Amino acid sequence: MALFLPALVVLIVTTSAPLVYLAWTSLERIDLSMPWLSGFAGAGNYLQMGADPRFWHSLWLTLIYTVSTVVLQVLLGLGLALLVLRIPKGQGILRVAAILPIVLAPVVVGLFWRTLVLAPDVGLVDVVTRALGLPSYNWLGDPKLALLSVIAIHTWQWTPFAFLVMLASLSSLPPDVFEAARIDRASAWQRFRYITLPLIRPAIVIVVIMRTMIALSAFAAIFAATGGGPGTATEILNLYAYRTSFSELNLGYGAALAMVLLAITLAVSFVMFRARRAR
Amino acid sequence: MANAGRVSMRGIVKRHGSFTALHGIDLDIAPGEFFALLGPSGSGKTTTLRILAGLEPLDAGQVMLDGVDVTAREPGERDVAMVFQSYALYPHMTVYENIAFPLRMVGTAKGETDRAVKDAAAKVHIDHLLARRPGELSGGQQQRCALARAIVRKPRLFLLDEPLSNLDAKLRLETRVELRKLQRALGVTAVYVTHDQEEAMTIADRVAVFMDGRIVQVGRPQDIFARPATSVVAAFIGSPPMNLLPADLRDGELRVAGVPLPAPRMAGRDGPITLGVRPAALRIAERGLPARVYLVENLGDTTIVDLDVAGQVIKLRTEQAPNVREGDHVHVAFAPEAMHVFDPATGQRREG
Amino acid sequence: MTGKRLRTVVLVAIAAVLLAIWAFPVLWALLTSFKTERDVLAYPPTVIFTPTLRNYADVLFGSASLLPNLLSSVIVAGVSTFVTLLLAIPAAYALARLELPAKRASGFYVLATQMLPPVGLIIPYYLVLQKVGMLDTYTGLIVIYLTFSLPFAIWLLVSYFEDIPREMEEAALLDRAGRFRALWYVILPQVRGGIAVTTIFVFLNAWNEFLFAVVLGGNRVRPVTVAMFNYISVEQTLWAKLAAGAMLAMAPVILLGLIAQRHIVKGLTVGAVKGGGRRA
Repeated sequence: MALFLPALVVLIVTTSAPLVYLAWTSLERIDLSMPWLSGFAGAGNYLQMGADPRFWHSLWLTLIYTVSTVVLQVLLGLGLALLVLRIPKGQGILRVAAILPIVLAPVVVGLFWRTLVLAPDVGLVDVVTRALGLPSYNWLGDPKLALLSVIAIHTWQWTPFAFLVMLASLSSLPPDVFEAARIDRASAWQRFRYITLPLIRPAIVIVVIMRTMIALSAFAAIFAATGGGPGTATEILNLYAYRTSFSELNLGYGAALAMVLLAITLAVSFVMFRARRAR
Repeated sequence: MANAGRVSMRGIVKRHGSFTALHGIDLDIAPGEFFALLGPSGSGKTTTLRILAGLEPLDAGQVMLDGVDVTAREPGERDVAMVFQSYALYPHMTVYENIAFPLRMVGTAKGETDRAVKDAAAKVHIDHLLARRPGELSGGQQQRCALARAIVRKPRLFLLDEPLSNLDAKLRLETRVELRKLQRALGVTAVYVTHDQEEAMTIADRVAVFMDGRIVQVGRPQDIFARPATSVVAAFIGSPPMNLLPADLRDGELRVAGVPLPAPRMAGRDGPITLGVRPAALRIAERGLPARVYLVENLGDTTIVDLDVAGQVIKLRTEQAPNVREGDHVHVAFAPEAMHVFDPATGQRREG
Repeated sequence: MTGKRLRTVVLVAIAAVLLAIWAFPVLWALLTSFKTERDVLAYPPTVIFTPTLRNYADVLFGSASLLPNLLSSVIVAGVSTFVTLLLAIPAAYALARLELPAKRASGFYVLATQMLPPVGLIIPYYLVLQKVGMLDTYTGLIVIYLTFSLPFAIWLLVSYFEDIPREMEEAALLDRAGRFRALWYVILPQVRGGIAVTTIFVFLNAWNEFLFAVVLGGNRVRPVTVAMFNYISVEQTLWAKLAAGAMLAMAPVILLGLIAQRHIVKGLTVGAVKGGGRRA
């Protein structure tokens, strides 16, 4: 007990206590740009949210962003892992390449994409589209494309994670099961559907859970690439809470937004862990 | 005597939640004895050993070593050494460091440690492997390393938890003999857990048979073999174990499946009994119990014949190849003194 | 026969494309960092050019030198990693081994703290640190880094401790080591690999952290991630310089990633099975 206590105390002090304070803050009006208005607001911040189209917009973006990035990561990661498993040589070098995006700071990834990859005229993507005779797109400046771009950035950075986990999971499957299935006249698709998939299901579930949590709190890459813009085109809830708190200095309302995000995160993780245990 | 090693356990109770693993164990082991705890898995023998080592807290009872109550003492303060089933060798240390570890922990001088380690290693013939790591040893060598680590400190009590179960059959037989010799040479008390009745019977001075968290019989191997205390013990000991048949005693006459047996008139209450006969005591004869040959297993020097007696399979063991074939109808007989009689309700042995 | 060969060719081609997609932005940045600003803007992009170290010299010793930021990052990431391990190792051991009251609940609590969205933590931290005048201090930043590194480290380490058979400790106890020395001589040497993996991950996460650093840092404490972000707002068009700065800022983690790639893959999968890993 004496061994666990220090860490437990630190965790309570550094994580749980601030959350209580966050909850309290969310009930207050703290606007550093108009400090004379500060005071207790009760449920005011939460009531304000209902009539705040920007909040609903950010909630909608959060949903799109989370679902699309997680689905893309899992599908691409699994597909790539299945492919790479069949390559007789060179798995090692692919693994190294896959690690590169993972170790990079998301903020730097956002910057790379904003400048070297997606910038008009000189970015890599534009170079390619121009070489193909297509028009030049403003990937981060056009509101529709911007959302697509930040989803692509996130997927680029984190698909290797899903890929590596799936690859490790696939390589650890016992080969005799597949041999038995072949003898039992299962086709390649049937082997995948009835053997591979159920066996790596735990890995998939865990990847989904972890990646969902990350996507919900994604910040730095979007912040660096678009800052939430243009306008509010890529402003997921996380960014909205940040901008409200630290750009507009309305910390009370920001805290309320953060509380909503916290509630969503906990609810989603609770549901997912329940679903995981149910099987 | 510093290294006496007298063990006495009184009323040991161990519960895991609502499940009672040990229902009040009493056990006395004399100094220098090689004592086996024998029983099927889950019978409580390993738990008893672990309580003796101090690794498992107990719910009631008392553990005495050389007349001193050690119930509340830490494992390290009991002066006992243990060989684990998995050996539990420290993988990051060499064989030398593994063996030296128990001495190092009490601050033994370097020179003395060195002598003791080499001496212990030589006793188990691994003195040429001292620089290796456990991962580089074969199973048998690992087992010896674990032994050396246990004997290096000259403990008063030597605990072995199924130490041979991870060895292949041939090595197991060899090591069994060596273990016995080693224990004799060291003169240390040894408590040995095994589920293999043959192992216990061949290696131990005395055996305690465990069933469902109780000790059902304690004695010398030959005594347990000759006079099993219950029908369960009878069915556990011997290979193949004793045949048990339902029988009836009426007016001093014994009937199995309706056939009267040529037994001497037996005393005792009339009513059903359980009759036990060792496979080797059975023989095929002109008269006796009618039986049908079910299967003949030829093991080379001996033959086991499975016989169907009134719907129940019994085994007969013989060293002469019997002239029977599967499906034959025969009669089996046995000498009256080879009979064991048990109470069918309680399983207790009845003396006739 | 040819069908099989064709399949292999296709597979290898796909793998090569993958490799390119993942490695290219980094390699491209590396290439760009050696170009002059004029070469950067050339169209079509030049692959052959006269490499220059000007950008690196500028970034390191110019007016907006990255050196203090690198130092900041080293201090923040180094100290928070050290403190994290100091707390996490005994805690993980306790969770994995000892009979703790409410052990399951404790484990779940650790897991839950790992799920908290950082933006929810940053607001109270900002308010409190502002009140006590500790914005832009190393202490403030290191403390908030514990909020993500400590749960993660405990969770990762628990799985390594659990891999060690209980009998190891029991043997050590019988060998008169006592609980503390059993941990020190027998258990810890065997989880060295796990501790290494944990150290790498905690350090990586701390080095790459941005949100906490940008809000709680300032002029004195400004890790490289924040400095990189500021670069683009200040020197928007100087891409070669930006690339050089980014390469420098990311050099430690890229090197760590390449050197310890095996460990990282293992850590990812262990973390995945146990549910660890978070990055903002």
